[in-house]
Amino acid sequence: MTLPKAPSAAREAAARLDGPTREALAELLLTMADDEFVGGFMDSEWTGIAPILEEDVAMSSIAQDELGHARALYELLAEVLDDGRDADAIAYDREPDEYRHARLLDRPRGDWADTIARRFLYELADEARLASIGGGFAPLGDLVDKLRREERYHRMHAVAWIERLANGGPIARGHLEAALATAGEAAPTLFTPLDGEAALLRAAILARPLGEAEAAWRADLTRILVPLGLALPPTIEHGPEGRSGHSDAFRWLWGEFTSVRRSEVGATW
Amino acid sequence: MTDQPPADRALESTLAALEPYEVFRQEKDGGPMIHGGNVLAPDPVLAVHYARELFGRRGESTRLWVVRRADVRVLDDPDLLDPPLDRSFKKPGGYVMRDKLAAARGKAGTTKPGARAASHGTTGRRTGGKA
Repeated sequence: MTLPKAPSAAREAAARLDGPTREALAELLLTMADDEFVGGFMDSEWTGIAPILEEDVAMSSIAQDELGHARALYELLAEVLDDGRDADAIAYDREPDEYRHARLLDRPRGDWADTIARRFLYELADEARLASIGGGFAPLGDLVDKLRREERYHRMHAVAWIERLANGGPIARGHLEAALATAGEAAPTLFTPLDGEAALLRAAILARPLGEAEAAWRADLTRILVPLGLALPPTIEHGPEGRSGHSDAFRWLWGEFTSVRRSEVGATW
Repeated sequence: MTDQPPADRALESTLAALEPYEVFRQEKDGGPMIHGGNVLAPDPVLAVHYARELFGRRGESTRLWVVRRADVRVLDDPDLLDPPLDRSFKKPGGYVMRDKLAAARGKAGTTKPGARAASHGTTGRRTGGKA
C-alpha cells in the first residue's frame, strides 16, 4: 500500500538536478547510508557483552545513533530516487552484493580492540567525508550539519579508547596494534572514488574530491597515531572492489538484520 | 603460575581499575543540580562519556556534574546533624511572615519576586556559547 505523497522539498530539489547528477547523488547517499547502517549493525553485536555495563550502554547508543543516521540518509535517498521504495525497502530488500558499504565495514565484530580500531578509523574518515559535502543539494547539506553534531561525541569516544588501549599495558597495546594493522588495510576503501564524482563536484554537492578528503583523514590520523607510536594505514590503489564483493562476515550480518523483515514480507512492524 | 584463565584475570584487573563517579543533572538552565545516580569508570574522561550516555542521551539534561565519589566530603554524623536537645527555635515555623511581607511590599510598591533560581549563581549558568 502506498500513501499519496506529500510535497517534499527534497524531491523537488532532486527533480531540478539533471539525470547524471541525480544518479551520482543517489550513489553518494547510498554509500554513506550503507556505511552507517552496516557499521551500526555490526557494533550493535556488542549489546549485552561489552567489557562493562557503562561501555555496553555507550557502544549500543553509538550503534543506535549510526542506525539513525542511516535511516535519515535512506529517507533522503528514497526522495531522490522517487521510485516507490521507502527507506526500509532500500535498507532491507537488497541482496548482499547490492550493498555499497566500504570493505572496512565488512570486517567481523572481532574483539574489543578490533571494534575500537574499526570505529576510530571509520569515525575520522566519516568526519572527513561529511566535511566534504557542499551546499549544492540543500537537503543533504542540512542533514550533514545535524549528523556532524552527533558525530563529535562518537569521535571523542573512539579517540579516548585508542589512547587507553595504546597506553594500557602490553596486552591491550598488542591487541590494538594487531587490530589497527588488519583494519588499516581496509580503511582507505572508505574513499573509493564514486562513478559520478565529477558530476557531484560540478554541482557543488561535493565541495572537494574524495581523494582530498582522504588526505585530510590521513593528516588527522597522523596527529593522533604518531604521538602514540602507532602505525598509519597503508595507502592503497583504489578500485571498485573497495565497495563490492562483500565478506562472509557481512553475509552473516545481512542474514541477521534482514531476518525479521523477511519473516513476514510486507508486514508493518 | 596461576590456574586462572587470562580472560578472568583481565576482567579482574579491569574491575579493579574502575571507580564510582556521582552524577548530578540539571533539567533546565538555572535549575538545581539534582543527584541522578552514579557510573563506574576507569578515569574522569570516560566517566563523563558514560554519564552523558546514562543521564543525557535523551535530551533530559542541560548540564551534568560528574564527581569522583572519593572526592565527595560526607557529613552524616547525627551529633552534628540531628542534635539531641530541642532546637525547634532554630526553625522558621514560629514566624508568620506572609502578612509582614505583603505589607512591606505594599509600602515599597513592588510585587512578589519571580523564581529565585533565576538570580542564583551557584549552578554554573551558561555565560558564553555552547560548551
